[in-house]
Amino acid sequence: MPYTIDADTAGFFEAAREGHLVVRSCSDCGANLHPPRQYCRHCGGWNTRWRKLTGRATLVTWTIVEQQMLPTFEVPYTVVLVEPDDAPGVRFVGSLPGRVESLQAGMAMAVTFETVGDGVVLPQWSPTE
Amino acid sequence: MYDHRDRCAIVGIGTTDFTKASGRSVLTLATQAGAAAISDAGLAATDIDGIVRCEHDEVRHNDLVETLGTANVTYWSSVGTGGAAPCGMIGQAVGAIMSGQARTVLAFRSLNGRSGRRFGQAGRASPRSIGGNGSYDEFFIPYGLAVPGQMFAMIARRHMIEFGTTSEHLGSIALTCRQRANANPNAQMADRELSMQEYLTGRPISLPLRLFDFCLETDGACAVVVTDTERARNLPHRPALIRAVAQGTSRHPQMGLVLPTLLRESLTTQPSADVAETLYRRAGMGPEDIDVAQFYDCFTITVLLQLEDYGFCKKGEGGPFASGGALDIGGAIPINTSGGHLSEGYIHGMNHVVEGVRQIRGTSSSQVAGAETCLVTSGIPVATSAMILTA
Repeated sequence: MPYTIDADTAGFFEAAREGHLVVRSCSDCGANLHPPRQYCRHCGGWNTRWRKLTGRATLVTWTIVEQQMLPTFEVPYTVVLVEPDDAPGVRFVGSLPGRVESLQAGMAMAVTFETVGDGVVLPQWSPTE
Repeated sequence: MYDHRDRCAIVGIGTTDFTKASGRSVLTLATQAGAAAISDAGLAATDIDGIVRCEHDEVRHNDLVETLGTANVTYWSSVGTGGAAPCGMIGQAVGAIMSGQARTVLAFRSLNGRSGRRFGQAGRASPRSIGGNGSYDEFFIPYGLAVPGQMFAMIARRHMIEFGTTSEHLGSIALTCRQRANANPNAQMADRELSMQEYLTGRPISLPLRLFDFCLETDGACAVVVTDTERARNLPHRPALIRAVAQGTSRHPQMGLVLPTLLRESLTTQPSADVAETLYRRAGMGPEDIDVAQFYDCFTITVLLQLEDYGFCKKGEGGPFASGGALDIGGAIPINTSGGHLSEGYIHGMNHVVEGVRQIRGTSSSQVAGAETCLVTSGIPVATSAMILTA
């Protein structure tokens, strides 16, 4: 269960609970700042906010996990890394049950929202085809 | 500005045996390696006036002052992050010596990495509340992505995607390290040969990485003694001159400990590329001047990335380069001549420092004939450090 009350990152999970995917962005220069932080190194401003994304992305890389490391994650499962179409340079992680053998780099992925506990929601990523 | 080129040298090396269950405390291991290094340098414990440790070490500087009797210590420091530290630790020693804060510095790493606190394991964090407070684990561990092996598997996959790298390419690195270990009586894998067939059918851990892509887990310690070159000339062994040393992060390294490095725009260029530039500039050398290299090898892919980042081949060509014989004794750049983390033992980058000194002395169990320069690197991906030793 993720820690969802961190001063810098809580907004990401609050948005997910409402069914939105967000990225921290600079209101002045538009730079994306993920993982979320308050200061924009690109323009030197503090005027950052949560920006909603469409939830479309492409697949960057993945791994099929075969050795169990976490008691709550039964192997095999597949961890994916995606780049949102409307936030170039940002990367999000997702996981899919089982060995997903059909993955191809650059394939289209879409966000889904998974409730993992009491009011805790994780953005997840699946191939669109 | 000051220039540290060849101003200091490594004059003493010491290691313990490398095992799965030492039956000793990390302090006993550190004391054994430290005493061996001081003795090898032809010095007494009271000659040591500085101690540098890795910030991950469970042994503190005052522990060693007490157990070794290094009663004159007036300087100490701790260097991180984890495996990125060892060459940076040598850099701290050089800085202390050149600024007059110490003259003779002991640097060490000690761990019960198999029988005690094992790295690369998950599950310590409370499942009720993962991450937060500057860890950023909340973006990774709830997805089942918890350990460096899984992260490096995704980096390896990305290298395969961008450049066509294959498992056989990675396997050639595992086999090279194993062959060097087979010649090193102190290596954990001294008596265990490895074939490409065994490598390719190794137990899948986090694909595309399999068992033999992973380093060993080791109980043991390594220590070295650094002093100024003037004093070094009067000690028993040929000094391994520290031609240059460098630390560095990526330009945009990402926050947190390890896992957020996966969110960088490029996974196939690592902070080793930035450190290489600094190191070669400081040394007045390039990859063509290096006779032998000790690459930090927590995974096979780690070596492949560094072969490219340190300029031994072009970006993307590390796979064919590695599998074409370049890494063998007599090849373009022999590597990890004690067997490295993959096959000698995992002393968190410090066994690479020790082996670099052996190559300069001419005493390696896989000696590169006439070696006068050795590149030693420390861990990626968070940040890294490296140095060039010369005869």
